[in-house]
Amino acid sequence: MEIVGNLLQGLSVALTPLHLLFCFIGVVAGMLIGALPGLGPSAGLAILLPITVSVGDPTAGIILMAGIYYGAMYGGSITSVLLGVPGDPASVMTVADGYPMAQQGRGGAALGMCAIGSFIGGTICVILFTILGPSLAKIALTFGPPEYFSLMVLGLTLVASFAEKTPIKAYTAALMGLFISTIGLDLVTGASRFTFNQPKLYEGIDFIVVALGLYGITEILLAMEDDALSFKFDKKALSWRKLLPTMQDWALTKWHILRSTFLGFTVGMLPGSGATICTFISYAYAKNAAPPERRALFGKGAIEGVTAPETANNAASVAAFVPLLTLGVPGSGSTAVMMGALLMFGLQPGPLLWENNPDFIWGLIGSMYVGNAMLLILSTVCIPIFVRMLEVPFPVLNSVVMSIIIVGGFSLGNNLFDVGMVLAFGLIGYCLRKMDYPAPPLILALVLGNTLENSLRQSLILSSGSMGIFFARPVSCILMVGALSSIAWIVYKAVRGARKDAAALTES
Amino acid sequence: MNKKCIQWLTAIIVVAMMGAFVAGCGGDKKAASYPTKSIEMVVPFAAGGGSDIMARSLVKVVMDKKLSSQPILISNKPGGSGSIGYAYTADKKGDPYVIATVSSSFYTAPLLGQSPVSYKDFTPICGFAMDTLLLVVREDSKYQNVKEIIADAKANPKSISVGGTSGTSDDAVMFFAFQERTGTEMKYVPFNSGGEVMTAILGGHVDMAWVNPGEALGQLEAKKARAIAVASKERLKEMQQVPTLTEQGVNLVLAQFRGIVGPKDISPEAVQYLGEVFKKASEQPDWTDGYLKKNSVEGRFMSAKEFGDSMAETTKMYEEFLTLAGKINKK
Repeated sequence: MEIVGNLLQGLSVALTPLHLLFCFIGVVAGMLIGALPGLGPSAGLAILLPITVSVGDPTAGIILMAGIYYGAMYGGSITSVLLGVPGDPASVMTVADGYPMAQQGRGGAALGMCAIGSFIGGTICVILFTILGPSLAKIALTFGPPEYFSLMVLGLTLVASFAEKTPIKAYTAALMGLFISTIGLDLVTGASRFTFNQPKLYEGIDFIVVALGLYGITEILLAMEDDALSFKFDKKALSWRKLLPTMQDWALTKWHILRSTFLGFTVGMLPGSGATICTFISYAYAKNAAPPERRALFGKGAIEGVTAPETANNAASVAAFVPLLTLGVPGSGSTAVMMGALLMFGLQPGPLLWENNPDFIWGLIGSMYVGNAMLLILSTVCIPIFVRMLEVPFPVLNSVVMSIIIVGGFSLGNNLFDVGMVLAFGLIGYCLRKMDYPAPPLILALVLGNTLENSLRQSLILSSGSMGIFFARPVSCILMVGALSSIAWIVYKAVRGARKDAAALTES
Repeated sequence: MNKKCIQWLTAIIVVAMMGAFVAGCGGDKKAASYPTKSIEMVVPFAAGGGSDIMARSLVKVVMDKKLSSQPILISNKPGGSGSIGYAYTADKKGDPYVIATVSSSFYTAPLLGQSPVSYKDFTPICGFAMDTLLLVVREDSKYQNVKEIIADAKANPKSISVGGTSGTSDDAVMFFAFQERTGTEMKYVPFNSGGEVMTAILGGHVDMAWVNPGEALGQLEAKKARAIAVASKERLKEMQQVPTLTEQGVNLVLAQFRGIVGPKDISPEAVQYLGEVFKKASEQPDWTDGYLKKNSVEGRFMSAKEFGDSMAETTKMYEEFLTLAGKINKK
């Protein structure tokens, strides 16, 4: 009963006109920020931090920031679907099926399902957060270095699902990503690796640099060589209703939405790369759980392939507040900026926040309900406007996208070095595409590479060099066994496939 | 329709460009009476981190109280463990409109050969706070004081695990120097950030860690973690119950001064003007109660000359620590 009382109090805080206005501004700004390639949620929040702090009232400030955060999480899907350029790691998987859908003229439906999935995922997670509250902190704490390592290995073994015919190419792409992630200062010894004495490489290569090149530039290069490539677009089909998802879309995706919500919430709660890895896991899971005739469509414009990762990343964005508000530990770049804002307001994030500032905490939780609903309404109203973007002739659209990409690359560190790297990765991406190497494994490995390496080395330092540590702890053991069996399954399938081929040969 | 779309896209680009350039404005013209335009304050780390919060809080006090006749704008130039931001500032020789905040890598990176510029390439402006390290354990830890830790480490070499934030950070330097001084052997487990270290302590994945007081404050107040020792010369004002390391028989003092520097060869009146602005700011209750107290940072204002001396001393201190640590070789 206490929870209901607290929640009502929180909603009353969130529903005051001023807070509603801030929530609205946040969601709109977030959507625009997320839609710009190169400006992900964390960069957007950092840019707007001074404005937020000048608001003066901590509750209004955090409501604004939370709005920007999940607005940007949704906004990322807009460019991923329509232009094929992911703005942040969490929306990489959305490109795989969202962009083909846009090319087939179903971009509106893809965006609509993203909005519905995000709404359901977000709301269920807020409800869970409301009920469970600080006790969730314990789950996040059970994850130590060995558990992280096992989770990362599991995530990486899933890359085979992105290229069923040639898992070897998917694994090669993943190894390339792992290599890129080793560039920079080594965490354990501080030695610089593959930096060629370039201070700009000390911090490693930013994910956004690679994604802008590998997706954005590559896509433009491909479009240039093929004049005929353009969206199939029936202008008459642009009526508002026809742009929205159909009942069939809903029937196909509803179970995926529920599963991804659960996945996003549990994995997203872990400090670190939770939000990204859960989108990959939920995509792989959705693909394997789908009936064979739908499974074949994944990567070619399956609505489930868009909905599952988008639901998961919005669920994870709510879950990311768990470590921030219960432990005082930011789980991601975005929540780190929010923690900075809280400190500047003079609030100490952590367990005591619930006792000392209940108005603030419950006001924030209340605003999450309001913000998620606002996001759903706004996005459904705006989808026709977004989709019309594709009506722009290709040469114009591509030059505009190109300039956005370059500005996005520049804005990362305010220097031209990053822009040069974006262009270089564009060329690499073009070659990879021509040789049929999939991009998602490379990106996934790049995002997870640091955590993978660090958690391995941390675990081995803790265990004084024994690999047994990964199997001695229950959670880690389960994840590791899952990873190993997924590799075994691929090998088994490959061997069986080879035998069948051999049998077919001898018969004929 | 097309026209509308293009207008809309143009609007996006304008927003994007504004976003990109909001942080990166600076200039380099000399003027008759300083300052005649806005001042760029470089934070060589990402927005939202410890250095950034400190700088923003200080600048907010300056702006709120209208202590400076021209606005001071924060500009984050992260990368290369701070060396990119410092190199950028040092490069603006003679330009008093670009200043930078000082943190530990300002001293350690050049010693380790990771930065092209050292304190000699800057003009000291002022110091405003002292930061140190706390040795923190989980609330239910068996250790009550440093002596017990040393005894246990000697009885079971390589069994105690200590979390930290990487091979060249303050806490790593402290860890290796501590091992060397006490003749013990422990395991150093590096993490990406102070936040991850605190999580590892709370989850029982590591036994203890050296952290900045501000990072541990929330957990200490909530009685989830305990502080065993502080590395400063004297006990902290806000944590009188925590004894120093020296009191507990280990003769090590590590404290660094947060301050502000400008590029080389800037005019003395600019140094004096900025020094006065920040001196006034550091006396405001918004700063002393609003920031220092809440983050357990000790305020201590230093003039340009004092801060210049301390920069040389701090570099010497880190040099000694790094040599003592041995594992980290000077280049």
